Amino acid sequence: MLKGKGVSNGVGFGNIAILKNEDRVIEKKIVENPENEMKRFKEALEEVTKETQEIANSITGTEKEIMDAYLMIMQDPSLTMETENAINNLNYSAEYAVEIGFNSVIQVFKNMDDEYMATRATDIADIKNRILAQLLNEETINTSKLPPNTILVAKELTTSDTAKLNFNHVTGIITEIGGTNSHSSIMARTHAIPAITRVEDATKIFRNGDYVAIDGMLGEIYLNPTEEEKQKLLKIQSQILKENEELEKYKGTETKTKDGYKVELVANIGTPADVELVLKNTAEGIGLLRSEFLYMDSDSMPTEEEQFSAYKEVAEKMNGKNVIIRTLDVGGDKELKYLELEKEANPFLGYRAIRLCLDNIALFKTQLRAILRASHYGNLLIMFPMISSIEELREAKKILEECKKELDTENIPYKKDIKVGIMIEIPSAALIAYGLAQECDFFSIGTNDLIQYTVAVERGNEKISKLYTKYHPAVIKLIKDSIQGAHDAGIFCGMCGEAAGDELLIPLLIGLGLDEFSMNSNKILKARKIISQLEKSKCEKLVEKVLRLNSANEVEKKLKEFIENEIS
Amino acid sequence: MNFLGKERKMIKEKVTIKNETGLHARPASELVKLASKFKCNINIAVGDKTANAKSILAIMSLGVKVNTEIELQCDGEDEETAIKEIIEAINNKFGE
Repeated sequence: MLKGKGVSNGVGFGNIAILKNEDRVIEKKIVENPENEMKRFKEALEEVTKETQEIANSITGTEKEIMDAYLMIMQDPSLTMETENAINNLNYSAEYAVEIGFNSVIQVFKNMDDEYMATRATDIADIKNRILAQLLNEETINTSKLPPNTILVAKELTTSDTAKLNFNHVTGIITEIGGTNSHSSIMARTHAIPAITRVEDATKIFRNGDYVAIDGMLGEIYLNPTEEEKQKLLKIQSQILKENEELEKYKGTETKTKDGYKVELVANIGTPADVELVLKNTAEGIGLLRSEFLYMDSDSMPTEEEQFSAYKEVAEKMNGKNVIIRTLDVGGDKELKYLELEKEANPFLGYRAIRLCLDNIALFKTQLRAILRASHYGNLLIMFPMISSIEELREAKKILEECKKELDTENIPYKKDIKVGIMIEIPSAALIAYGLAQECDFFSIGTNDLIQYTVAVERGNEKISKLYTKYHPAVIKLIKDSIQGAHDAGIFCGMCGEAAGDELLIPLLIGLGLDEFSMNSNKILKARKIISQLEKSKCEKLVEKVLRLNSANEVEKKLKEFIENEIS
Repeated sequence: MNFLGKERKMIKEKVTIKNETGLHARPASELVKLASKFKCNINIAVGDKTANAKSILAIMSLGVKVNTEIELQCDGEDEETAIKEIIEAINNKFGE
């Protein structure tokens, strides 16, 4: 059995199809008949152009713009000039001419003193590889024409690979490089295809046609599985199917308890592409749009236009539903090359999130202007992360007001009464919740950081991970105070940390009066099911009992007991 | 240039690129699309480098950044319209 990181749940059986990798060697070869080589080259180029055109026609947005730029590059005579010279004047084979001709263009871009341009070299290398594959008659897997029951194996799946994929025929995806939030993992989850990443040398270990079975939750791959292994996986598969069928009933239904108490069930997302999954799982809005993707995926500061078009895309797709955009939350452990932040001894207690933004007003304003402009196209809300004092909230709001004034003078429309909220993720903020609540429109409790700051345990530190628990009574008291403070001031209080989707904690949070639960889209239906089986009055009694407990273990035990009694 | 016996000269005009990312892929491809509509030869000069405005690779390889002044050179029968429309598009940041 091979093991990787499971990034999309489910079990899949099928035959391997490997997307070719790019480390082939092209040898120098002189030919007798250059006309023939020229014809082969032109045909290969035409075929690749046609393919790209088809992809470009089938997609929209930023991805389409990239494809269009690709197309223009392919049709540019200066791209092929060197290659044609090499065929006509040096009698090189088409393959070798492409290799050296394209490499000279790639070199020009690589040598440019501009990171963005240097990365364009990759685009040209991609075109080169596709032409070579065509010329060499390599068995390139045509992702649009895969046979049924295919397990796709690749170093990494790119946008152009997945754009034309026939998802109905793919029963699994295995990649060498990637993570939970990489493009192909998100695509896999959207289409409910089991996926495993970080399988070293996957493109070399397997051969086309190999029969495998994979478990996308545990990240396990069985090459030629035994009957016993097959039965084990089939059992898991039928369980998952049954659960999913069961959850289908909760698609599009209201989120309320047995005794009629309604809450909002919304989603956390990382990029505009995630919206598809949000809608599919019928989340009632977006409780957290992490804006970092715009900054992390780029080699330079994203412009107001780039941000505007991303936010607008989400606003429009969500069609009037709430979309809470969290302003930039980087610094400390999340690095941005172009910001050149200094290394800090205690990054989690350091220069990050709102602290960094209030210190770099131009950067902050670019984002706020982009959000405001996009607010004209849907129901956007703004949320500031890492607020620890009322001064920070006031300062951030002041800058927001300045941006509004600028837009007024420029006659640019935006939602004038856009709601402004804060993350409650620092104990000091939870303890002055009422004061903060009087000066903003909503809270969202970020439990992941709130826990680490409350119990003084760094989230990623394995050695002390036992101390990091969402069931700590102190954490629960801070959650209670935050909700109370919000309600006393008449504003709503949500939660976007992992705790909001925790099966054990949901009853407690209902009892505490939490108004909004925000979680990953794939947890929405399960959460709705749990909530529909609860009674608010019983949850309130549970709160009373839990608040008397002094240890995380006791809390966890009590919550388990409750769930076992109340949920079928 | 001697063209049908008449003394002809190319026309040129200086203009500043205002797109925040300079002439990167998207604005460059807009420029190429526009330039390709005209029959005349169109070049862009920056410092000592000159590039054909109908070639996206040539333009991208100039590496023009924001607030860089370029010289637009048009030469051919529809040069007047070409220079006017291209300057206008550059000033409009190619619709960005």
